[in-house]
Amino acid sequence: MSTEPPGPRRTGGLPTTVLVARREALMRLRSRVFLGGTTVMTVFVVVGIVAASLLAAKTTPVRIGFSGGSQALEGTFRATAAAYGTDVIVSDIADLGAGTAQVTAGTLDVLVTGSATAPTAVAKAAIPADVESALSLATEAERLYDAGLSPAAITSAMAPVPVQLLAPPSHKDNQNFFAGLAVGILLWIALGIYGSQVAQGVVEEKATRIMEILLATIPPSRLLAGKVIGIGLVGLLQLTIVGGAALVAVHITNVAAIPALGPAGVLGDIVWFVLGFLFYATAYAAVASLVSRQEEVQSAIAPISVFQIAGYLLMYAALPDPSGPLATVGSLLPPFAPILMAVRMAASDVRSWQVGLAIVLTVASIIGLTWLAGRMYTNAALHLGARVRFIDAFRG
Amino acid sequence: MAAARVLEVDHVSKRYGDLVAVDDLSLDVRAGELFGFVGRNGAGKTTTMRIVLGVLAPDSGSVRWLGGPLTFEARRRFGYMPEERGLYPKMHVAEQLAYLGQLHGLPGAQARAAARTWLERFGLADRGDAELQALSLGNQQRVQLAAALVFGPDVLVLDEPFAGLDPVAVDVMAEVLREQADAGVPVIFSSHELELVERLCDRVGIVDRGRMIASGTVAELRTGGQERRWIDAPGAPAAWQPGLPGVRQVQLDGTRRLFELDPGVDDQALLRAALATGPVREFERVEPTLGEIFRTAIEERAA
Repeated sequence: MSTEPPGPRRTGGLPTTVLVARREALMRLRSRVFLGGTTVMTVFVVVGIVAASLLAAKTTPVRIGFSGGSQALEGTFRATAAAYGTDVIVSDIADLGAGTAQVTAGTLDVLVTGSATAPTAVAKAAIPADVESALSLATEAERLYDAGLSPAAITSAMAPVPVQLLAPPSHKDNQNFFAGLAVGILLWIALGIYGSQVAQGVVEEKATRIMEILLATIPPSRLLAGKVIGIGLVGLLQLTIVGGAALVAVHITNVAAIPALGPAGVLGDIVWFVLGFLFYATAYAAVASLVSRQEEVQSAIAPISVFQIAGYLLMYAALPDPSGPLATVGSLLPPFAPILMAVRMAASDVRSWQVGLAIVLTVASIIGLTWLAGRMYTNAALHLGARVRFIDAFRG
Repeated sequence: MAAARVLEVDHVSKRYGDLVAVDDLSLDVRAGELFGFVGRNGAGKTTTMRIVLGVLAPDSGSVRWLGGPLTFEARRRFGYMPEERGLYPKMHVAEQLAYLGQLHGLPGAQARAAARTWLERFGLADRGDAELQALSLGNQQRVQLAAALVFGPDVLVLDEPFAGLDPVAVDVMAEVLREQADAGVPVIFSSHELELVERLCDRVGIVDRGRMIASGTVAELRTGGQERRWIDAPGAPAAWQPGLPGVRQVQLDGTRRLFELDPGVDDQALLRAALATGPVREFERVEPTLGEIFRTAIEERAA
C-alpha cells in the first residue's frame, strides 16, 4: 500500500517516450525471434563472404623464378606484369636443377632459363597468358636494347596503342553485383521484419485493450514514437551485429576491394536502414491502427507492403545497370530509395548529388508520414472492433 | 490546500452520430469521497469516465480538477481501470506494474517497490515473475486494479471494478477503495451491484440515457420519495383497509402488511388506525433500497 499522501507533485523518472522505447526494445531483445533472426542473418552474410573469397582465390600471385642471364629481364618483367594487373612474385633461381624440381613440385609456377635475349619459360602444365605476354615484351625490349636502341627509343617503339572508350562502364563487376544484391536483400528483410513488428505491436495494444490505459497516461504521439524508436533500435543493433560480423569476415578472408563491405559501405547501409525503417514503420503504424485484431494486420498493411515488394523487384531490374535511368529514378523516390540507393551505392559509384537528393526526399516524406500517422493513430487507436476507414481516421 | 480537492464534470455532452451518449451531465467527487455511478448498460457511465480520463474528448463541457482545467500532467496522476480490461499478456506481472508505475511518473526503484507492495496486498506476491496470461481471470483482474493503484493516484476512476470478482476479492477491493478514499483520494466507480454501492458509497449518481437524473447521499435520494411501513396487526380482518388518503397497501404476508405512504402523510394516523383493529406487534419503517430508488427514478423519467 502506498503510504505517500495523495496530491499533485512533480513527477520523476524517465520521459515517457524513453520508457515506451525501452520496454519495446527489452521485450524484443529477450525473445527467441531476435536471437534466431540475428544468428540466421549473421550466418547468411558470413557464408556469403567466405564463398566470395573462395571464388576470388583464383587470382593468387604467380610465382616466377629467373635463372642465369634471364635475370636481367626481372625489372622490365615486373613493370610489364604490373601494367597488365597481374600479381607476380619474382625470385632468383641459382640452381637450374633445383628450380625445375620446384616447378615439378608446384612451389614455383614458372621458371625462366637461358639468356636475356633468348629465354625459355618452363612451366608444369600451362603458363598464364598475361605472364607469357609480359615475358615476351620484356624480351623484345631487351633485344631492341641489344640492337643498339636507346631506352627512350625503345619506350616509344613499344608504346601501346591508346584506347578511347566512348561509353566507359562504371566499375562494376561480379563482386560488386553480388555485394549490391546482398545489401539489398538484407535491407529488404530487415525493413520487412521490423516494419511488420511495429504494425503488430500497434495492433497488440489494441487487441489486448491496454491501449486505453496507455492513452489515459501518455499522448498517442509519444506512444507511437516510443514504439518506433524502440523497435528500430533493436533492428539497428541486429544490423550492426550482422554488419560487424561481415567486416570481421572480410578482414579474415581478405576479400578486399569490395567497397560495399568496407566501413563506409556498412555505415551507408545503416543510414539507409534507419531512413527506410522510419519511413515504413511510420506508415505501417498508421495503417495498423485501423484494425483491432492480429488476423487483420496483414491485410491492413498490404497497401504499404506493395511499395516494399515493388522496391525489391526494382532492385533486380536495376542491378544489371546501376547507373541506368530506371535505377537512377527509382533510387530517388522515397518508397524505393532506402533499398535501391543502398544497392546502387554498393554496386557502383553514385553521384553525391543523387545520394543527397534521395536523403532529402526520404527525410521530407518521413516528416509528412509522421504527421499523418500521428493523426490516424490518435483517431483510430481507441476504435475497437470493426476496421476503421482510412478517411475517418484522417478526419477524426 | 487552498483549492478543494474536487473532481468536477461540468455540463459534459458527447454524441456519436445520432446517438446521444452523454447529455449535459455534471457531477463532482470530493476528496475522501467514494462516488458510486449507477445506471443501465449504455446509460453513459463508461463514456463519462473516458471523458474524465481524456481518452475521449467531449463535444461540449469540461472536466475540472482542483478548481481549474484538468491538465495532461494532472491527469497522468489519475488511476484508471477501464471497462475493457487490458494489460500485456506476455509481460511479467511485477515488471508490468512497475512499467505502468513509471509511465505515471514514478522513478524506477520506487515503481518496482510499489509493484511488490501491491502484489503482496492482493495475495499475488509469488506470481510477480509469471506472465500475466498465466494468471486466472480473477487474478488478472486484481493485477488490473493494482495497475490503477501502483503509482499512488490522486484520483481513482474505476469502471465496473467489482465485475467478475469472487466474494473474497470483492471484500478486498471494497476495503482498498475505502482506504483510498479515507486517505483523501476522490474515488468514482461504476457498478451494477447496487447493494454494494449503497453500503460502500458516500454519494451516488444515477444516470439514465446520458443524463444524471439523481445524485446525492443515499439518504438524500430517499427523501421526497415514497415512505413505507410494515405493520403486523393479527386482529385485523383480511380485507381490512385503514381508509386513509394517500395510504395504499402494497403487500400482504400472513398478518403482516406493507403500506406505501405518499410524501407528507402522517404515519401515526396509520398506526392509530391499525391499533383500532387490536394489538399491533410490529410497526416498522422500511427504507427503500438503492435498487428501489434506482428503479423508481428511471420509471419516473420514462413516464
